[in-house]
Amino acid sequence: MSGDKLIHVTDVEFESQVLKADKPVLVDFWASWCGPCLAIAPAIEELAGEYDGKVVVAKMDVDKSPATPGRYGIRAIPTLILFKDGQVVEQITGAVGKAVIESAINKALS
Amino acid sequence: MDEKIEKVIPSYDVIILGTGPAGLQAAIHAARKKARVLVLGRPESSSLYKAHIENYCCVPGVKTGEELLLTGMQQAEYFGAELLKEDVVATAALQDEAYQVTTESGKTYSAYTLIISTGVTRKGLGLKGEKDLVGRGVSYCVDCDANFYRDAVVAVAGDGSAAAHGAVTLSKIAKEVTLIITKDLKVNPALKAELEKGNVIMAAGSKVKELRGTDKLDAVILSDGTELALDGLFIEKGAKGAMQLAAFLGVSLDPGKFTYIVTDRKQATNIPGVYAAGDICGPPFQMAKAVGEGCVAGLSAGGFALKKRRKETQTG
Repeated sequence: MSGDKLIHVTDVEFESQVLKADKPVLVDFWASWCGPCLAIAPAIEELAGEYDGKVVVAKMDVDKSPATPGRYGIRAIPTLILFKDGQVVEQITGAVGKAVIESAINKALS
Repeated sequence: MDEKIEKVIPSYDVIILGTGPAGLQAAIHAARKKARVLVLGRPESSSLYKAHIENYCCVPGVKTGEELLLTGMQQAEYFGAELLKEDVVATAALQDEAYQVTTESGKTYSAYTLIISTGVTRKGLGLKGEKDLVGRGVSYCVDCDANFYRDAVVAVAGDGSAAAHGAVTLSKIAKEVTLIITKDLKVNPALKAELEKGNVIMAAGSKVKELRGTDKLDAVILSDGTELALDGLFIEKGAKGAMQLAAFLGVSLDPGKFTYIVTDRKQATNIPGVYAAGDICGPPFQMAKAVGEGCVAGLSAGGFALKKRRKETQTG
């Protein structure tokens, strides 16, 4: 049930579930009409399982939640942002391999 | 869950995206199996078109790519395939694992199977600072990012259907859209008309030479020295490829770079009825490999589609 490890957040829960989280949170800003977002989706789901307990992996649909992407100046998707204690610590734009995302997470965890 | 969507009876068995050696060989083999085949794309966009080939088995001497492709097109037509010189700009899955494609002129066609053989195009322009400005004004995907440029001033760089279609999409969202074309715009007249209707400004005969901006894109400098103040530059070279057409259907791409489509030995992707062949499946980028994969894809897709059509005819 690794799929259950992944959470979906909206503008409403962003503050409580991401900024005030007690663990680092990786947010995948995506949309259903974005091919590259769909391409990396399986990797994001795997990461949610692999980092369970250490990092929260969340997805935010930019179509349904436009305020948060606007607040972080997002103008391309997929964009992955790693938040730690409410701060942006890593940001990746575009479809990148799982290894690149892992190395960004590990850097932030070390 | 049991929602009834109007069922479409596909008008083709196999639709092939791309008219390079992989697509044409696929068309020949599928059509010889008596599958109803439609091939979509522009042969002159194939990387083979301008090449000189001397390492292709059993064809002695040097042949031009153009000569080989035109012969391949005639062969495909001889066996019954229909060819239409239009690129595909969108794909969609229909009910019961059938597929629909939309071409650059807005026409739609449906089939039991798709073979994606659109080749590969280098994504970027290779300009200084380009990578750092991705997501900060530079984008490689109009479909993905257009909505972030509402009422903005934007440009699209590219000579093919992806750029022109992107400019039309943006004309409905952005304040001002310029299409930067290096030579000629290689698109269908219907798409050209859409560009005019959308008041897209044409900057023909120019190239993006320089990007200006540090934290975000401010402007681009064109090869004729013109400076265009921009909020966004979309780089869309050639026709739409793996990322926009295949990934959208849920087709798995290589997990390292997300550039190539992953297939099995039958050239089947992870999505039933969707096949891929040629450069889009990864290196080596050789005509011989493309032709081989095209043959397998044509046979696999043709067989799959015919079986499905027969079953539907019996039950329907």
